[in-house]
Amino acid sequence: MSTGPRLFPSSSSSTSSSSSSSAAPTSASSKPGSLGSPFATSSSSTLPSSSSDPSPLAGGTGRPAAAAAAAGFTSSSAAAMQSSPHHPHHHHALQASSASASSYMMSIGGSSSARKKTEGKTLSIKGFKVAPKLPPNYEQETWQKLQAAVRAVHEARPIDSYLEVLYEAVENLCLLGGGATLYERLTAECESHLRLEAEKLSVASEDPVTFLSVVDACWQAHCEQMITIRSIFLHLDRTYVLQNPHVQSLWDVGLIYFRRQVAEVTVTQRRLITGILLLIEQERAGDSVNRSLLKSLLRMFSSLGMYTEAFEPHFLRATHELYAREGAALITTMPVPDYLAHVEARLQAESERIVHYLDIHTRRNLLATVERQLIEQHIRVLIERGFEELCNANRIADLSRFYSLLGRVNGLEPLRVAFAAYIKKRGAALVCDPEKDKNMVQDLLDMKQQLDTLLSQCFGHNDRFQNCMKESFEAFINMRQNKPAELIAKFIDAKLRAGNKEATEEELETVLDRLMILFRYIQGKDVFEAFYKNDLARRLLHNKSASVDSERAMLSKLKQECGGQFTGKLEGMFKDMDLSKAIMVSFNQSKFASQMGDIELSVSVLTQGYWPTNKPTSMNMLRIQQEFQKFYLQKHTGKQLSWDNPRGDCLVRAAFPKGTKELQVSFMQTLVLLALNAGDGVSFPTIKAETNIGKSSLLRLLQSLACGKIRVLNKNPKGRDVNETDTFDFNTDFVNKHYRLKVNQIQMKETAEENADTNEKVNQNRQYQIDAAIVRIMKARKSLAHQLLLSELFNQLKFPMKPADLKKRIESLIDREYLERDEKDQSTYIYLA
Amino acid sequence: MKVRVKNWSAVAVWRWKVDDDTCGICRMAFDGCCTDCRLPGDECPLVWGQCKHCFHMHCILKWVHSPNANQLCPMCRQEWKF
Ligand SMILES: [Zn+2]
Ligand SMILES: [Zn+2]
Ligand SMILES: [Zn+2]
Repeated sequence: MSTGPRLFPSSSSSTSSSSSSSAAPTSASSKPGSLGSPFATSSSSTLPSSSSDPSPLAGGTGRPAAAAAAAGFTSSSAAAMQSSPHHPHHHHALQASSASASSYMMSIGGSSSARKKTEGKTLSIKGFKVAPKLPPNYEQETWQKLQAAVRAVHEARPIDSYLEVLYEAVENLCLLGGGATLYERLTAECESHLRLEAEKLSVASEDPVTFLSVVDACWQAHCEQMITIRSIFLHLDRTYVLQNPHVQSLWDVGLIYFRRQVAEVTVTQRRLITGILLLIEQERAGDSVNRSLLKSLLRMFSSLGMYTEAFEPHFLRATHELYAREGAALITTMPVPDYLAHVEARLQAESERIVHYLDIHTRRNLLATVERQLIEQHIRVLIERGFEELCNANRIADLSRFYSLLGRVNGLEPLRVAFAAYIKKRGAALVCDPEKDKNMVQDLLDMKQQLDTLLSQCFGHNDRFQNCMKESFEAFINMRQNKPAELIAKFIDAKLRAGNKEATEEELETVLDRLMILFRYIQGKDVFEAFYKNDLARRLLHNKSASVDSERAMLSKLKQECGGQFTGKLEGMFKDMDLSKAIMVSFNQSKFASQMGDIELSVSVLTQGYWPTNKPTSMNMLRIQQEFQKFYLQKHTGKQLSWDNPRGDCLVRAAFPKGTKELQVSFMQTLVLLALNAGDGVSFPTIKAETNIGKSSLLRLLQSLACGKIRVLNKNPKGRDVNETDTFDFNTDFVNKHYRLKVNQIQMKETAEENADTNEKVNQNRQYQIDAAIVRIMKARKSLAHQLLLSELFNQLKFPMKPADLKKRIESLIDREYLERDEKDQSTYIYLA
Repeated sequence: MKVRVKNWSAVAVWRWKVDDDTCGICRMAFDGCCTDCRLPGDECPLVWGQCKHCFHMHCILKWVHSPNANQLCPMCRQEWKF
């Protein structure tokens, strides 16, 4: 508003110094603080903000001129009224002359900039030396002239007199002390006019929308008329009104009368509200309605100070009822994503409604009402009916909407709870069903990635959602003991083994990082360690690692996650491998190397405590093993060596008649092959005696050599399975396009047995760890109550355990005299040094 | 026809050669390590005195340097000599 050209600029004259500096016609003429609530604010601050606002109350350049023209002024005089901001020198001249002026005309000059503009046209200013004598009926006649003009304005007729004449008349009356009378007469005139208008309204059309138009027209006319009247009676506003604090400005008194005579009339008000609500209801139902009419009428309520009390409560009640009905109906029939989209559209439409015609102050209550009825009332049902399904279908857009809508009504906590329940349910289904073990880890990785996407794209990286995801993963992944840890270890093994599918180191790195996140959730990390160790041993001893770098990278990830204690033995395994290479170098330089014949021997010397142990085999040491052992023990006193032959590998040269081949076979397979060097058709018992291998193992070995993909042996009689009655010899017809061949071992059926064995070892190890922890704690504390010892143990040990298990270990330590019970207090233990 | 072995990658496991199972000082297994260590094997070696008694090296070093031990073997009370 402040940028609009001023109709009546304030001047530096003392008579108008308290005039408001605001450019709006309403506020320019109203005295600050001269009105009580609600008018004091309603005429200015509740008005729309832009100067191009079509409201009759907004200060624009066009409207006052047009109003003046409509009231019968010539366009030149109308222009004269608003031109002064462009001619500041007029003020100057005026002030200079007013200082010495003795005439009443000059003494009021400071506030009459508009008049000066007419200099040289219809008016000229002359300084009178003596005040003119007035005719006795001057006041009466002048009023009649003014009254005629006011009536002409009210009746939309041209005014007979020139504006300048009327303006001077007002000035004169005010100067003569007739301000109060003039004010009384003028306002009475306006009031009686409005009374007539109100009577017209009471018989106006029954149709509510038509009625709205009629009231609006009445309001528009009132505003235009008041602008014209005020410009005529400007001097009254500037003098009498300003000088009397309890007198309302002409504009404000116009509003008061309009409110009292028209808008506040019960019937009119009711019809207005009903009509407005009807239009809004129609618009909400999808019809297009006359928004500018609504806007104009609601601005009218604001200007009259009636918006908050007369309109808003009715509007909010109607809104509440509509959306309560709508929500209750749609929540049961509409699919959840559709419902959410609908709510979003509703909120959008209501926001636009505020922009288009509602008062901005209604915004908060309106949106809160819609949110409460459409969202808050139905949070539980929305979540129950739709959340899980949307998550399963990965509906990013719908879930984003879910989150943002519930966020508007403090509904995120129930959503978070539902998210946690969903993760646990879905995760438990993956983890607890043994039939899904084959794909468990990949499925978990996929699930985690999908949920991460939801978290970032739908749930705005919300920390609480992130935490609840972590907790939920921990909860479900530990619902099943040991298996997830085992499968993650196996999954990593597959990735680290030579020939894995990951093309690049970076891809492998990414997968390993994501596996580490799953690993982090697992409580029984020792189970993982045991299986990981088995696999690592296999990769190292059989040279199966894809890359040393990846192995090291994985190790440092584990170290970072679990600390050096966890990875110490794994690192020891790598160290043993390096050390073994050094040992072989010095062995090959020793005198013992000459005893090897044409066999190239390499030995991996393992430190017993680091590696997964195998059951010792009762096999005779071969001669070259004895040679190596002599060499080793000579160098390492205090140590003893045992051989783990089933873990050995050989490269065997086989001179098949149709082409010599090199066979990559296990040491045990090698023993069988060597046994057949004896001759043709060797029987099962002969081989068994020769190799000293147990029956079932031997059957499996023969199966791998005679019935597998690469059949280097013939079996007699032929058949798919090996029997103890069969005889064997080399397959003299053997051909293969490759020179070097790997003969696979029969995949051990006892993988399950092996797993059970590993789990048993884990159990054993846990007992040792518990024992060690108890001794460590008791040694430090000397004496400790049972419960305190238990809580210390729960703090220190990283695997799941039950108090009963711990109690057993304590009993065992008491038996072994590490501890004793306190004689005075049986529930306290004392450390025995 | 015959086959012959060209290369042999064998696996051997070493451990300490001791008669006792546990260290007389810390009571931990010789296959394990002393209470100060985390890893067995070369990280926590065993030593034998001239009296033929065997301990974790870390244990006996601590022991013989303690004021009351008088440089004696804790098992036989003979002077401890490596
Ligand atoms: Zn010891
Ligand atoms: Zn040690
Ligand atoms: Zn001794």
